[in-house]
Amino acid sequence: MKLLFSIVTSAAVLVSGSAFADSSDTKVALVPGGPHPYFAAWERAGQDAVKDFGLGKADYKVPAEWDLSQQNELIESLVGKGYNAVLVFPGDAVGTNKILGELDDAGIPTAALAGCVEQPTKAKMCFGTDTGHSAYLGTKQLIDAMGGKGKIAHFTGFLVDPNTTLRIKAVEKAVAEAGGGVEIIQVIADIDAYEPADEKINAFMAAQGGEVDGIVTTAWVPAVVAAQALTNMGDKRIKMVGIDHDEVVLTAIKDGFVHGTMLQNPYGQGYIGSYAMDKIRGGCTFKADAPWKATAQTDQFIDSGTVFVDSSDVDTYVDAMRGISLEILKTFEDDFLDC
Amino acid sequence: MNKKIPNFIYTNQFGLLCLVLIFTLIFSTSTDGFTSRFNIFALSRVIAIDIMIGLAMMVVILTGGLNLALGAIGVCAAMFGGWCMEVLGIPIIPSILLMLGMGSFLGWINGIITVKTGVHSFVVTLATMSIYFGFMTMLTEAEAFRRLPELFTDFGSAKLFNKYVSPLLLVSVATCFALFYLFRFTDIGRKLIAAGANPEAAELSGISVNRMFIYCHMLSGFLGALAAILLTTRIGAAIPSMAGQLGMDWLLPAFLAPVIGGTLLSGGKLSVFGTMLGAVLVTLLTNGLYLLDVGEFWIRFFLGIILLLAVLLDRTREYFTLKSVIVS
Amino acid sequence: MAALFKKDWFGLLIVVIVSGLAIAVLKPAFLSPFNLYVLMVSISYMLIIALAQMIIIAIGQMNLSVGAIGGLVAISFSGLMEVQQVSVPVAVLIGLIIGMLCGFLNGYITVRSGISAFIITLATLYIFKGINLGITEAEPFYNIPETVKNFGNAKIGNTPIPFLIIIPIIITFLMWIFMNRTETGRHMLAYGNSVQSAELIGISSSKVVITAHVISGFLAAIAGMLVVCRLQLGTPNIGDSWLLPSFAAPVIGGAILAGGKVDVIATSLGVLIVAIISQALVIFKIDPFFVQIFLGVMILLAVFVNRYREYKQEARRKIFSSE
Repeated sequence: MKLLFSIVTSAAVLVSGSAFADSSDTKVALVPGGPHPYFAAWERAGQDAVKDFGLGKADYKVPAEWDLSQQNELIESLVGKGYNAVLVFPGDAVGTNKILGELDDAGIPTAALAGCVEQPTKAKMCFGTDTGHSAYLGTKQLIDAMGGKGKIAHFTGFLVDPNTTLRIKAVEKAVAEAGGGVEIIQVIADIDAYEPADEKINAFMAAQGGEVDGIVTTAWVPAVVAAQALTNMGDKRIKMVGIDHDEVVLTAIKDGFVHGTMLQNPYGQGYIGSYAMDKIRGGCTFKADAPWKATAQTDQFIDSGTVFVDSSDVDTYVDAMRGISLEILKTFEDDFLDC
Repeated sequence: MNKKIPNFIYTNQFGLLCLVLIFTLIFSTSTDGFTSRFNIFALSRVIAIDIMIGLAMMVVILTGGLNLALGAIGVCAAMFGGWCMEVLGIPIIPSILLMLGMGSFLGWINGIITVKTGVHSFVVTLATMSIYFGFMTMLTEAEAFRRLPELFTDFGSAKLFNKYVSPLLLVSVATCFALFYLFRFTDIGRKLIAAGANPEAAELSGISVNRMFIYCHMLSGFLGALAAILLTTRIGAAIPSMAGQLGMDWLLPAFLAPVIGGTLLSGGKLSVFGTMLGAVLVTLLTNGLYLLDVGEFWIRFFLGIILLLAVLLDRTREYFTLKSVIVS
Repeated sequence: MAALFKKDWFGLLIVVIVSGLAIAVLKPAFLSPFNLYVLMVSISYMLIIALAQMIIIAIGQMNLSVGAIGGLVAISFSGLMEVQQVSVPVAVLIGLIIGMLCGFLNGYITVRSGISAFIITLATLYIFKGINLGITEAEPFYNIPETVKNFGNAKIGNTPIPFLIIIPIIITFLMWIFMNRTETGRHMLAYGNSVQSAELIGISSSKVVITAHVISGFLAAIAGMLVVCRLQLGTPNIGDSWLLPSFAAPVIGGAILAGGKVDVIATSLGVLIVAIISQALVIFKIDPFFVQIFLGVMILLAVFVNRYREYKQEARRKIFSSE
């Protein structure tokens, strides 16, 4: 069931602006890179954050297209409208830094959510799935399921997504560690839209379906399309590890066509991200000696968690995700913030 | 029709100017933040780029054709420039010249194919759009150039006039004046218009129509590259996706500005300042719609409606001015 | 037999056969049942998309909103079934009506305003796509009834022929009859050839233009719904990538954009050529970016070939007239 335009439920907002006011004037904008089902959980996460932490607003605002310029235009207008903290999935790992710097000049704290910007950056943190690690773990699971040998195909997302390169490298790493038995026979990228994904994945299956033993997908749409292709073919020989929690993928896991999926935590990203922004606006700062993780792009990374589910725990995946969020939240202030 | 001053109020530009003022008034009273320094600065930057994109399309519409490959040319020029500056280490000014040269060259290809085959530029540029864009993604492997000279990228965030205006806008306005001069006061500019207005008559009077059309396509490529340069300084990197898939995200602003500004799609009539005002109006409306909270997903819907209303209004205006001319 | 050689599309047929054979010899996997199945599936909706554009090219215009109409119908179709629990036939019917309504809007505004269809359909492209995004907020509809899903996957008996292709074949046939054997169809071609002379012999331009756009919308609607059957979900970005292929096939099939010169068989062969060669690129593991370039080059090539043929025909006509 889809809700037509859920209306912002936030209460009246204090416009005054003492920097140390008790959280009530923080208006967070959660801006994804473009329309994509992955980010849908941010909307609910923002609403919950308003309720639970008493923020002024935490609204999910989506650029109508997957395009850096449109995202920039949207963010600029949101700031014009009075949002004073921005959580953004970077439209480009470097290109987005420009506007984050400008927001910082205007006294607006920002953070990269679900994907990182490259340093040097004015983003206070990068809070997201360690996508490389997730792809690595997923590939490991796949190799185990394949019995440690065979040929793998890797389907992944937009080449413009900063995460895509990390994922390709991580899959290569996992395969290299498995020794000579495993081999990547094809990487198909830039198929994070249904029609091209359907065309390319099916053409691949037609041409090389007989050779391939395992499929790892590291983006939402390719996971859905590949899961569907395997279900349609009725093929249980080819093992597949997907990503995220699309219904199609989950059903295919239950039916045994897909081995498992790597869950990410978009809800937790939006929920804890909004909380963190409010704390920052309230005068907290990030500790220099916080337990940051370092990635290829940034050394101020916080992992929002990832978990593998297969047919045994697919029914309770929501609990698994919520569990991770609460776990992170419990220690977030103590670990990362100086208030 | 020749007396400029009294007739000005009948022109499209005057109507646009009024609309711009009216909407400015509406948005500044009905939304908070519209007149904030941050918003005006951001607006000036978006307007600058949209003007340039509009002008680039305008000069091809002059020939009665269009240039679907505009966005692809822009991205190619930007990526080429990024490669020059980052990989080859060429200084900024020569790199900019090379980018403009690249844009003009790709435009020249469009022009020459259109003229030689006699096929509508729609088909030709539809094809070159995917060819240019395809080669660009293949050569760059869709990797962005992100380490551009700081001087170059700082230009995009510089602020002038008490931090209200971006220097990008000055570049665009200057370009408008240059084009106005070209089409109004130079021989070649008049030939370009004559060739677009009535190719047969122009040919008879000794103008090489084919050459003029090729010039128009080159100019379009040149301005497309200029738009890409502005966009690159603004983003701070040369990114393959900066104009969307196949560069098609530029198409709406590209057509909106000149068409609203009174440039005829059948060719032969253009309005440089109309295009400028058209771009201002569209950007203003987009920004206002965002601020009014109509919902991000409905913005496109409203832009489509605006384009439709604009061309219909233009039609009615033309109809009435024509009537009044006949009556008088 | 001799008459066959004279047909415009005969050369295209040769291209299809030769390229098909060449690929099959080099890569026998090309003829594997599954590959043929995949090939036919992609042909099935491309065929309808191409025809949706072809009929507008026939009257000398273009329709940029084919993909947007297809997308809007796709999400309405799946949304009606998922949210409103509408039965499949009713949803199909409403989908078709929406498509025809969109087409009618295009045609009506174009005729009444006298503005080029290019600008009108550019505007409606954004309007239709805007409605689509506004309704779905960019999220797909998943709960497609089993009957629809099965239709998208079924094969005819033990053959690799997808059920999906039956509709396009019937439609292509009907379109051929319409364009070649009905008065309205011939009027369209006459109108595309020359608006003035068509009006002189009493053809109503509003009727011709509106009919063509309504048919285009109707076909786009069918294509949109077929894609839903195929993908088994109604996602808002259906139709986003149709623009280039919709023009590629008719242009390769020899339609000139000035209008009046389109051929259903040639357009279908154009679809076949594009599909076969795109498939070949995947089989030979050629860089996916190349597909993009390839489509563009094909269009340009077709433009040159058509130009050359016209040039020769003109030369021949001159010789005859001088005798």
